Amino acid sequence: MSVMELNGGSVVAMVGKDCVAIASDLRLGNQAVGIAANFDKVFPVNDKLYYALPGLATDVYTLREHLRFRVNMYRMKEEREITPKTFTHLVSSTLYEKRFGPFFIEPVIAGLPPKTELEPNPKPFISCMDTIGCITTPKDFAVAGTAGDKLYGIAEGLWEPDLEPEDLFETISQTLLNAVDRDALSGWGAVVHIITQDKVITRTLRARMD
Amino acid sequence: MEGINTVDLMRLKHGEVNLGTSIMAVRFEGGVVIGADTRTTTGSYIANRVTDKLTHIHDRIYCCRSGSAADTQAVADAVHQHAQLYAAIYGERPPVATVAALFEKLCYDNKDQLSAGIIVAGWDKEKGGSVYNIPLGGGTFQQPWAIGGSGSTYVYGYCDATYQEGWGEAETLQFVKNTLALAMARDGSSGGCIRMCVITEDKVERHFVPGNELPRFWEGKEVIGGLAQTTKPVAAA
Amino acid sequence: MAAKGPVEGSSIGFDFSNYARNEFLGQRLNGLPKATSTGTTIVGLKFGGGDSGEEEGICLGADTRATGGPIVADKNCEKIHYLAPHMRCCGAGTAADTEFVTNLISSNLELHALSQGRPARIVTAMTMLKQYLFRYQGHVGAYLVLGGVDSTGAHLFTVHAHGSTDKLPYVTMGSGSLAAMAVFESAFKQNMKRQEAIDLVSRAIRSGVFNDLGSGSNVDVAVITKAGTEMLRNYEMPNERGVKSRNYKFRRGTTAWTKESIRSLVVSEDVRITSGAGKEQPGVEVRPVAIGAGPGGEEGMEVDS
Repeated sequence: MSVMELNGGSVVAMVGKDCVAIASDLRLGNQAVGIAANFDKVFPVNDKLYYALPGLATDVYTLREHLRFRVNMYRMKEEREITPKTFTHLVSSTLYEKRFGPFFIEPVIAGLPPKTELEPNPKPFISCMDTIGCITTPKDFAVAGTAGDKLYGIAEGLWEPDLEPEDLFETISQTLLNAVDRDALSGWGAVVHIITQDKVITRTLRARMD
Repeated sequence: MEGINTVDLMRLKHGEVNLGTSIMAVRFEGGVVIGADTRTTTGSYIANRVTDKLTHIHDRIYCCRSGSAADTQAVADAVHQHAQLYAAIYGERPPVATVAALFEKLCYDNKDQLSAGIIVAGWDKEKGGSVYNIPLGGGTFQQPWAIGGSGSTYVYGYCDATYQEGWGEAETLQFVKNTLALAMARDGSSGGCIRMCVITEDKVERHFVPGNELPRFWEGKEVIGGLAQTTKPVAAA
Repeated sequence: MAAKGPVEGSSIGFDFSNYARNEFLGQRLNGLPKATSTGTTIVGLKFGGGDSGEEEGICLGADTRATGGPIVADKNCEKIHYLAPHMRCCGAGTAADTEFVTNLISSNLELHALSQGRPARIVTAMTMLKQYLFRYQGHVGAYLVLGGVDSTGAHLFTVHAHGSTDKLPYVTMGSGSLAAMAVFESAFKQNMKRQEAIDLVSRAIRSGVFNDLGSGSNVDVAVITKAGTEMLRNYEMPNERGVKSRNYKFRRGTTAWTKESIRSLVVSEDVRITSGAGKEQPGVEVRPVAIGAGPGGEEGMEVDS
């Protein structure tokens, strides 16, 4: 049992057609003992940018507060909202600062970049990181958490390009649900966020509670 | 009370690049000859087979490095800077003894963190050619000849038996070449080619012996004492 | 620069505040997580010059697999990092370290070039890297191949995590370095032509991709000459994914959900002109205006919840 498996939990993010989805399970455990079924690991940064923090629960809170502070500072200094790419680098350097005493978190970020003059049709953005802030920006999906290995396998099989929001919902939900059902440390409910250009749909899934 | 003998000075950090080495320096009338093999290893892999372990410190002072590649490069770089500063301040070349003292200070003060065995050699107007050995934990020893690195253990006897006072440049060069070839043949972490360097008042001359032209006299094909054979100099440094 | 409040601590260097806790946690539970490492094949060689009739230059190569333990974390990552316009650096070892070290040195090289009024030399980058890495005694796990062209010619170095450097005409590093070096040792020639160099480099990387488990996917190449730098991203793609003949698209409604909340990001306002110059005029149509999404609407963000 490593530190990353102490509290359990898994997350996944996927790219669709002009939309992104990010989902997590809701379990908080102490090793094999389930403690809570309402431990949401996905947080909003702004309207079209969400991030998930799977890993050690104490660090979920600490890192979330760290990031809230830094995003607020960014917002006040720059007088604009942070973009998904900039936020990814913010998280990355926050983690790398603690290179020799890391947070046990592997963040996953999903968002729609704002439309600008230079980029009138920005591509949906997802990224993920290891515990010390090494960024990967996949074009398809990003996974992390105790069911990460399983999620990789299922997502690799189920994901396809240009899914509409409702289809993306089905794909990400089935990916997450079927992965966490085979993981003893994840599950106990799940929540999915679908971010589109004009709305964010949040759905709590019906899931196995064992 | 665990004595200093229990301190393992030869430990290398995991994955560290090692100069498992054969190095040598010999004084002669008018200068010094220094030499080294060219092998650098990480574990059993040869990371560099044409390494230059004869490192420039000042115009007429070089050092031979053994131990950790990173540590010895860092120490040599630091001393190189000091030597340049010395020349700028005093308007003349630093004596070899001074440079050796600088090496010794760095190696001794940081003995817990370094694995560096260094031989300093060169020419200065006070002493002519001189050789200083600075072994692993620090300490400076002026010697007529010095050998170092893992390969040196195999050739102490050969050096004791062979070295004689009063040699000229050519004989000294041959002695260095033969000694290193013997060490490299026995020591697995030494090998490759031989690099040598003659330092006198008016020249720094580099010599290179490729791996397929190394002396093999002990194999019975040549005769010990055939010191007439000299090496061809390559472009002077 | 009082960039950070009292809760944030010092603003430069590493923060060791979690170190003792993590050591304790590592002892109580066994094993701390593995960082993404670039189980890698990276190579570089010098070409041109001599009687080749071509300008001398550096050709760098890398595979594109990133691993986290036994898992392929990224199938097409970039391991040839930018340092300066005329300088590139391939990274192996701990992925985060190679990324941050090259970024830091790149930044310092830019400042150096600005203060000196000339492009930084390759040896300068090499010295900056080795001094930084030596300071961290190998704990910053960056194994690098550094190459570039400056006023003194084309230069190629390897830099190990402990801070040692080597200067050679052809180099390889990473877990696939043995496979790649076997190719170089058998086929390297002095003064190769540009295309010969690219071919040899990609052959060396391919040998890593197919023979080393830590390396895989595609071949990235960078060519640096006095004329400029050319990045040949995914120069070869010998491992493309096959096309799925059918898909696993689910019918809508497959997943049962218990609760839904929709946050609309379109804030619409009815603009009703009540007085002044904007009063209804002939030919001017009054209609509701949709205002783009943004913070400050009634549906403002809730990060405090």
